[in-house]
Amino acid sequence: MNLIRNENMKIYRRPRTWAMIGILILAVAFMGGVMKWDSSRNDGPAPMPQQNAQTQEQPGGQAEAEKYDEAWAQDLAQQNARLQEQLNRTAEMGEEQREWMTEQIKLNQYYLDHGINPHDLTLWSYVDNSAALILLITLLTVIVAADMIAAEFSWGTIKLLLVGPASRTKVMLSKYISTMIFALMLLLICFAAAFAAGALLEGFGGINLPHLTIGADGAVHEGSMISHSLRVYGLSIVSLLMYVTMAFMISAAFRSSSMAIAFSLLFMLLGNTLTMLLSGYSWVKYLLFPNIDLSQYMEGSQPLRPEMTLGFSIGMLAAYYVVFQLVAWLLFTRRDVAA
Amino acid sequence: MTEAVLQLRNVTKTIGKRNIVDNLTFDILPGEVFGFLGPNGAGKTTTIRMIVGLISMTKGEAIVKGISVRQNFAKAMTHIGAIVENPEMYKFLTGYQNLVHFARRHSGVTKERIDEVVKLLGLQNRIHEKVKRYSLGMRQRLGVAQAILHRPSLLILDEPTNGLDPAGIRELRDYLRKLTREEGLAVIVSSHLLSEMELMCDRVAIIQSGKLVDIRPLQGYKEDPGTKVVIEVDDLPAARRLLSKAFGDSKLSMSVSGQALEIAAERAAIPDIARMLVSEGLDVYGIHAVQKSLEDQFLEITGGEMVV
Repeated sequence: MNLIRNENMKIYRRPRTWAMIGILILAVAFMGGVMKWDSSRNDGPAPMPQQNAQTQEQPGGQAEAEKYDEAWAQDLAQQNARLQEQLNRTAEMGEEQREWMTEQIKLNQYYLDHGINPHDLTLWSYVDNSAALILLITLLTVIVAADMIAAEFSWGTIKLLLVGPASRTKVMLSKYISTMIFALMLLLICFAAAFAAGALLEGFGGINLPHLTIGADGAVHEGSMISHSLRVYGLSIVSLLMYVTMAFMISAAFRSSSMAIAFSLLFMLLGNTLTMLLSGYSWVKYLLFPNIDLSQYMEGSQPLRPEMTLGFSIGMLAAYYVVFQLVAWLLFTRRDVAA
Repeated sequence: MTEAVLQLRNVTKTIGKRNIVDNLTFDILPGEVFGFLGPNGAGKTTTIRMIVGLISMTKGEAIVKGISVRQNFAKAMTHIGAIVENPEMYKFLTGYQNLVHFARRHSGVTKERIDEVVKLLGLQNRIHEKVKRYSLGMRQRLGVAQAILHRPSLLILDEPTNGLDPAGIRELRDYLRKLTREEGLAVIVSSHLLSEMELMCDRVAIIQSGKLVDIRPLQGYKEDPGTKVVIEVDDLPAARRLLSKAFGDSKLSMSVSGQALEIAAERAAIPDIARMLVSEGLDVYGIHAVQKSLEDQFLEITGGEMVV
């Protein structure tokens, strides 16, 4: 649709947009650099503390560890022995912690059996870590989204934009879709840049490494790394979508783009702190922010309130999404453009 | 009679309890430049924004070429091109990109059409420069270009002369004339600058406090019966007697200074009046027709409240 092409033109013809893309690529490069530097620093002086650790270690652990000749494998074996020891010794351990430990032991053993060093940097470690940068992408997209409608007001171009043979609903939809395309593009760039950084620094050697998980049946499963990475990305996209839609609504509400950007970022950054402060109350689960991170249900970590479930969160998010869209639509289509 | 391009029917906007625009009804005919005149805050801009759908109407109907703006906004807008107040453009885009942007919204605006409009408005030399480097006059022209891209039947310019220097105003006026001639469109211009309107428009509507006060043609107003003939003679009472016999008492009045007689008559009546006075032996010092300028008429109509 031509309207979307228009909106895209307005996004990509602004120098600001290219600065954002530049920042993102730089961030990925920086992250890759730090990871590489960090791992090479660990590799260097590692043997020394290793020696100390071994001398302090229980004899059982050491015996187990000596079966392996590589340092990382000895490390892993020791860790397993230690965990096992703790598991046997301390009876008052919580059920969850016990479970976590057994799983960890199983995972470590699997690594040992297959000769995989989990701490070795592979291409996928970069891609995985780059998922953390989705926060940055969200930030950038929120800025663009908040600017989308409000900027037309501050430029005064809204008048010309609306005096055209397109209903306001269509104008708004085209803006929303362009924002989403922009977000998608940033995600792709981030993924590609992380992939490239990984390939550049580590080579393609690790590309076929499996991603290990412990299934419900207690056995170790091999999954493909790419599906794991995509899932990490996918979950982040949910929060991206929510924040951007919220920013879009705020954009429709304010006529000044700086106000819209400021408020969107404020909500985004303060939201989590606020919910943490309020986490004692049960109504906090009806707020947007505790629901926005769906990965809390995946990784076995605790949601904010014990009664929250994945279904509940998805429902809440859907409800918020509809409300955001509706409010934005009402504000945008009903308002008199007088200024 | 040709069908009106735009029909306003009882258009009303109420904010709070005040009627910003009160029951406006008038028609705009094809090919005319229609002035929309009124003091600041009279509701000109509000009316125009209601026509183009930027502001909702409380009551009434605006019909463009038979299509109601309220009921079929998108279709009605294909017949309208508008600049509302200053021609705001995307400053980070070039003039050409701006035009492409607006052209995309309409179906059937070709590349050739864009070039044609660019040439028509004399922008071809700098069209590929960023708009932020344009002067206000050039932006104004780019705004007009944007508004006529899709060959609308009606061009709406809200306060087009705001912020333009005299040369820019003249330039704009020339372009408008050219456009009505070459593209055959009807133009609505709103302004509070009377002298401008006098030069630009075929007809003006005068509104005050949201109410339509008067619509009058401008070209024909010299032959208006409102024209007066001022007669300066030595014996005023005698002249008065003579003239009241010839024209009737109601058309006579003393001038403000008390030194001359004013009579409501056309310019063509002057030789007769002169002959009559001279043949009766009166000394005539001067007889001349006085046309009320639009400004006089306007001030008379609006009660002199406006500040130009």
